[in-house]
Amino acid sequence: MRLRSLLVGLVSRVPARVRTKLLAAFLTMVVLLIVLGAVGLRVLSGVNQQTEELIKLQRKIAAYRQVQHDTTTQLYGVTSALLFSDTRKLDDALRQLNQFGYDLDRLEFVAKDEVDLIAQVRDDYNQFINVMTRVVDMIRSGQVAAAREVQLKQAEPLADRLERLTNQLVNIAEADMVAGIDASEQAYATSQWVVIAFALASVVLALGLGYVISWSLIEPVTEIDARLRQIAAGDFTQRVRVANRDELGALADNVNHTSEQLGRLYQQLETASRHKSEFLANTSHELRTPLNAILGYTELIQDGIYGDVPEKIREILARVQSNGRHLLGLINDVLDLSKIEAGQMTLSIAAYSIKEVVHTVLTAAESLAAEKKLTLKITIADDLPLSQGDERRLTQALLNLVGNAIKFTEAGEVAVHADAADGAFRIAVADTGPGIAADDQQRIFEEFQQVDSSSTRKKGGTGLGLSIAKKIIELHGGRIWVESELGRGSTFRFTLPVRPDLWSGPA
Amino acid sequence: MTKRILVVEDQEDNRRIVRDLLESVGFELKEAATGDAGVRLAETWRPDLILMDIQMPVLDGYAATKLIKSNAELRHIPIIVITSYALSGDEAKAREAGADAYVAKPFSPRQLLAMIRQFLP
Repeated sequence: MRLRSLLVGLVSRVPARVRTKLLAAFLTMVVLLIVLGAVGLRVLSGVNQQTEELIKLQRKIAAYRQVQHDTTTQLYGVTSALLFSDTRKLDDALRQLNQFGYDLDRLEFVAKDEVDLIAQVRDDYNQFINVMTRVVDMIRSGQVAAAREVQLKQAEPLADRLERLTNQLVNIAEADMVAGIDASEQAYATSQWVVIAFALASVVLALGLGYVISWSLIEPVTEIDARLRQIAAGDFTQRVRVANRDELGALADNVNHTSEQLGRLYQQLETASRHKSEFLANTSHELRTPLNAILGYTELIQDGIYGDVPEKIREILARVQSNGRHLLGLINDVLDLSKIEAGQMTLSIAAYSIKEVVHTVLTAAESLAAEKKLTLKITIADDLPLSQGDERRLTQALLNLVGNAIKFTEAGEVAVHADAADGAFRIAVADTGPGIAADDQQRIFEEFQQVDSSSTRKKGGTGLGLSIAKKIIELHGGRIWVESELGRGSTFRFTLPVRPDLWSGPA
Repeated sequence: MTKRILVVEDQEDNRRIVRDLLESVGFELKEAATGDAGVRLAETWRPDLILMDIQMPVLDGYAATKLIKSNAELRHIPIIVITSYALSGDEAKAREAGADAYVAKPFSPRQLLAMIRQFLP
């Protein structure tokens, strides 16, 4: 591992472009292939040479055998000629002797190594020819007994020596042949190992090279990839550390630069967003103070504290008040949302009973439902445990849901169901209203999004209730979603983790 | 005997509304526009009940409430704290300061009157 990282680091730090590195790697492999081919060729030519040597040896042996054979034939021929005193046979024998001379010539050409031996043979042979010529001449001139004498005393020992010498030649050649075969076999085995070792070394080198080069590319890419993931997740503080001094190194520098820029921009955006939220919160507060006064005075006038109020003006005052309340609701919702978005909504965590929350909401919503002649049904599972959370905010969230359900349902019922499963409360608010198309089911949780934006005014909602409910529920670690179908009503469901122990707000 | 209510509130309109409301039902009223003026009036005038706004410059409603409740002679006077739009934790803070009850803005005059009636029937 240490070797690997050392090699990879080494290759990474080479100040060459990726293209050059790859080219170098491929060229190295090509060179290895060429060297492997050359080694193979050398081995092949070596084998070829050995074979040629063996063929030469074989020819030598054949020649020696021929010499041996000829010598024997010669002796036999001359001996039988002498026995029968046949001149024709004698001529044959002499012709053959000449033939033996040619054999020797050939021998000298083939066997350069055994020059001394062959010289001896030639000496003996020359003597033999002389003796034989003498013998033949003697036979021709009728001195058969003398010829036989010479043949016995001089020719035969010479023939014996010749035979011995040629035998010796054959033996030497055969021994050479055996040695040659052995050497050839050994040379073949050696070259086989050389080729295999060379091929293996090439493969290992090529693999190692490929491995190191690809890791020197893969490592920075993984590093950059991880970094980009962090950036996508909003972490701009880390830097890519890449040893490469090639295109990947440049890319890493670029990523670092981009990350810094993004981080700066993100910070600016965050500051801007916080300023916006603070501005909204302040504005809402400033707006509310005079509005409260307006509403307060209106109520006092309505209650006749400043004197009797004619019926007509009383009616207008009621409208002033209802519009004022609506405006106040809007301002409060905007304040809530901007607080949540600025991260300033702190939950005041205490033990709460979900049953209590549901009952509070029902009490608050009863009159609204009664006005529209809707049935308001509740089912609460028994023995729901106490949990920790901000009871007032949770009540606000559920009230928003129930209020919406009542607002958008013309006839039928609104049913609230609460139970617990898997460590979480499950609350459902089901209505028999118009339902929500699948396309709108995500959108309605966003700010100022009602299915039909004209209905905002008509229904009197602020369009912020659902987003506030969603954010409150999410601050408690819960989840909210809607199940609905056009014409079949809607069911808003949310979960809240049951936290029996004290917790200090959302993690 | 007419019951006396001290209103500590920095905003004129709010003071006016409370005054108009409470005088119309026969309470005797005094007003203070700052926290420390409220504390001084509580000591000298000895009201039967104090309405205390929270958001005031210099000495805010919590501090004023604490001061009054730490005075053994004034401790018995019920204090109704009026918080600005119910911020989380305001109720707890008001109780911690020693307030006897709390009303969140926006309150309707009728609501406020109902709350006062609990202490001064």
